[in-house]
Amino acid sequence: MTADAQIAPTPTAVEPARAAPRRRGRGRRARQTAWNLVGIAVLVLMAFPVFWMISTAFKPDDQINSLNPTWFSLHPTIAHFRDAIHRPFFWDDIKNSLIIVGVAVALSMVLAFLAAIALAKFRFTGRKLFIVLMIGIQMLPQAGLIIPLYVVLARYHQVNTLSGVIVTYMTFVLPFSVWTLRGFLIGIPRELEEAAMVDGSSRLGAFVRILLPLVAPGLVATSIFAFITSWNEYIFARILLSEGQKQTATVWLSYFTGTSRHTDWGGLMAGSTLVAIPVVIFFLLVQRKIAFGLTAGAVKA
Amino acid sequence: MSSSHVPSQAALAAEAAPWPRRRRRLTWAHAFRFALPYLLIAPVLGTIGAILGYPLYHLVKISRERYGLFELIQHKGYPVGWANFSSVLHDSIFWHTLLRTVVFTVANVGLTMVLGTLIALLLVRVSSIVRVALTTGLVLVWSMPIVVAVQVWYWMTNYENGVLNYALTKLHLGDYYQHDWYATPLSQLSLVTALIVWGAVPFVVVTVYAALSQVPAELLEAAEIDGARPWRVFKDVTFPILKPIFLILTSLSIIWDFGVFTQPFLLIGQTHINTSNYLMGIYLFEEGYLKSDFGRGAAISILMLLMVAILSVVYVRKMVRMEEVR
Amino acid sequence: MKPRFVAGLVLAAALTFAVSTASARTDGPTRATASKITVWLQVDAQTGWPDLVASTNQAFQKAHPGATVDVQYQTWPDHLGKFDATLAGGNVPDVIEMGNTEMTKYMAAGAFANLSGDKSSFANSRNWLKGLADSATFNGKLYGVPYYAGSRVVTYRTDLYKKIKAKAPKSLSQFTAIAKKLRAKNGKRGFSPVYFAGTDWYFAMSFVYDYGGRIATYSRGKWHGALDSAKSRAGLAAFARFFKAASRASKTGTEDRPQPYDVYAQGQAASIVGPAWFSCCVGKKYKNVTGQFVMPGHKAGQSMPGFLGGSDLAVPNGSNDKALAKDWIRLFTNTEAEKTLQAKGNIPNATNLLGNSVNERAAKRSWFVPTAKHWVDVENGNILRTMLARINTGKNSIKEASSWASDNIALTLNRP
Repeated sequence: MTADAQIAPTPTAVEPARAAPRRRGRGRRARQTAWNLVGIAVLVLMAFPVFWMISTAFKPDDQINSLNPTWFSLHPTIAHFRDAIHRPFFWDDIKNSLIIVGVAVALSMVLAFLAAIALAKFRFTGRKLFIVLMIGIQMLPQAGLIIPLYVVLARYHQVNTLSGVIVTYMTFVLPFSVWTLRGFLIGIPRELEEAAMVDGSSRLGAFVRILLPLVAPGLVATSIFAFITSWNEYIFARILLSEGQKQTATVWLSYFTGTSRHTDWGGLMAGSTLVAIPVVIFFLLVQRKIAFGLTAGAVKA
Repeated sequence: MSSSHVPSQAALAAEAAPWPRRRRRLTWAHAFRFALPYLLIAPVLGTIGAILGYPLYHLVKISRERYGLFELIQHKGYPVGWANFSSVLHDSIFWHTLLRTVVFTVANVGLTMVLGTLIALLLVRVSSIVRVALTTGLVLVWSMPIVVAVQVWYWMTNYENGVLNYALTKLHLGDYYQHDWYATPLSQLSLVTALIVWGAVPFVVVTVYAALSQVPAELLEAAEIDGARPWRVFKDVTFPILKPIFLILTSLSIIWDFGVFTQPFLLIGQTHINTSNYLMGIYLFEEGYLKSDFGRGAAISILMLLMVAILSVVYVRKMVRMEEVR
Repeated sequence: MKPRFVAGLVLAAALTFAVSTASARTDGPTRATASKITVWLQVDAQTGWPDLVASTNQAFQKAHPGATVDVQYQTWPDHLGKFDATLAGGNVPDVIEMGNTEMTKYMAAGAFANLSGDKSSFANSRNWLKGLADSATFNGKLYGVPYYAGSRVVTYRTDLYKKIKAKAPKSLSQFTAIAKKLRAKNGKRGFSPVYFAGTDWYFAMSFVYDYGGRIATYSRGKWHGALDSAKSRAGLAAFARFFKAASRASKTGTEDRPQPYDVYAQGQAASIVGPAWFSCCVGKKYKNVTGQFVMPGHKAGQSMPGFLGGSDLAVPNGSNDKALAKDWIRLFTNTEAEKTLQAKGNIPNATNLLGNSVNERAAKRSWFVPTAKHWVDVENGNILRTMLARINTGKNSIKEASSWASDNIALTLNRP
């Protein structure tokens, strides 16, 4: 990804456009501040439920359901986090989730990228059928698939195995990924590809060498989708995995609410906060890549 | 998988096929050029086929059978022809639910796309610290397990001590003390809409924002120097490049929102679900699976597939045709 | 990137898939070993009485050297879906815990082994609680062993009752009078003398049974809705009156939202109606001023019949080793085990074990839902709740609403 490295300091494609006209310096700064304020307002509104989840995790039980809502607890407690971690199989299930999601996302991205190249850059018989199949699969309500899918995986002896869940997640992530990546590939101007093809390399080689960096934002956006979708998936993991030490983080979380007695809300909120941490780490690792891309290619071309 | 013998051959052929291709002399290369797209889609097709092939066949098969708990245990259905379909199509609840779901879907998809795009455009304009903070916040929203998100939303809206009632009353917007937001179907479904749009916006923002980075900077610069208004810049420069992504996001949103189940089921609550607030996903679950009438459930699934296909046909057609390859 | 590299990627992907499939195949579940049984218990056991499970397993392994037990915990919302999947695809558990209202459908479909012949081998089987034993019986055959039960009682603030010089009421009219006094003493907005949800059908049906009514009756091979009978309507009317007098809960609200004990813990209720375990969560402030009593009926001195919730243990027909499965159940429901459950605040499964706690006294007069194959559809369809909401909001008269519900229930229960 040499193209990236050259342009790395440019955070977004659009920023140069914004930075170029320096003529109205003060007005620009005022406008920037205004936009920032709008951005912060949106952040506050959108993230309020997240804030509530985290703040509840730190509240003592008595404050969780108090009549006048407590925004921040003045006597925060980490008891809920301690209890959550000490519930059976916490670390096992986090590890399982990481394995399942890591493998499913990595494999899905590779396979989907290849298929997306075929769809975006080749014309072949059955292409339209394949596209329609990819979207048709997503139209199927999942409720109807649960039992027969269990039957299939039982036949392959994939029930109660991580690999069974991995392939299941791949089947649900792949159609979306193929589609989205195709969309990103189509968005790339032809001149850029053609530039690469002149140098005599094979068509596929050129595509991969040139397209991969260009489509990086798409790959990242798609993999975030794949990651979060698989990380939060619940029902298939619940049905397919039986033993406590083989289950996933969401199944582990479900034990908080699955009882006929009262739900330990503090524990659930603490558990959910902990379970969200890997997602945030993954996002922070890849988010810088979203903003690079065509600028890099465009400058080079 | 079936393609395991392919790579060596692929590698060979690729080496032997310099660009531009010389079709007549290199039959190997020719075959490879023909096979290449199929080889590229084979892994995806193989995986999906291996896992979903049988469930799809099974679904179609039992949709024409009486297939309840007894038949499930015996592993054998009793053929009833089109009875499942006709019983669903003659069910007035089905049609009412369908209409309600279409309205619901349009509202949800519209709100999600508009808000998502606006926030994505906003991301381009804010400083980088705000951008990272906002995107991280959005990803946190996105990564909240649905069960937890629903509970927090329920807390915010519950009639005993919800923050919403508290805030509305404090702001003197009326007396919302002990206002029950779960009392009427309209109010229930509005809450569900808010929850779904809130949960779906991050996905749209991240994807559109990623797509925005494909918009060549020179074009925007040129447009700005020409003095074009922001709306025109968006319409003439940004939108055409984003169009493929918009098409994909819109059709996916239609598909997801049409069949949505978990959010309404949990937020409205199983104890409040009845035929006056059914959505298609809930209808399927209640009429097919809670009653262990799997054959009827399969028929409803297939009908839902047809309905959502009709609902999204415009988008899907555009998408299939978009940007025909050279 | 060279084409070779791409080819390598494809190969790697294919290989990873193949390897993961192959490796998983070898360590997949091998259910052929007959000396291993799988037990599905609800998560309540994991959080509530894990020691009992462990000691049962120990005793079991002692009795059957070489046999192993794998206890897998399930959640209430999903365990039936998972059970359905195993019924279709294999790996059914050898023992499954079922809620007593969930039993009938599965018994009717032939999911469980007939335990009639073994009945006497289970401890205290002659004195099993009727509500539980009935739920595990279909067409005169026994398909499950009662595990434990829970009844519904009134949890109340002793300090507030003391202030108006009231004791635990002995009749419904006394209770109503207390509620009115409590209301007069505590003018706070939204305060409920007796908090219960407007569509708490478990509580409403207790009134129906107390007045001699029924939900549905079975005769001449058919189910008949019975809520439109005069006695049932009298019960519904009493419920509606009591709701108006005592509870400030939402007229259309349900008993799970908000949880009554949360309302209580906020000082918004002098009493709440619900399972006896509600005392767990009344809040630090009121822990020491909280008591419980049995809900009184309309006849003085007689308690109101309460809904008896509970669990049964069944052996699915697909079990590989039914003998071992039954043996495990025997150990898990013997007198000693039931006493342990009792110590955890549950009602043991037999009358001869009943103690004198409020919870257990309430269990003596109880009612249970009609044991019809399609009863769960009535519950899931929220027919009774809809009826109650219509009555409370005045949308329908009791007569109209009960006729509507009665017809709907008959229609649902008589579905083929």
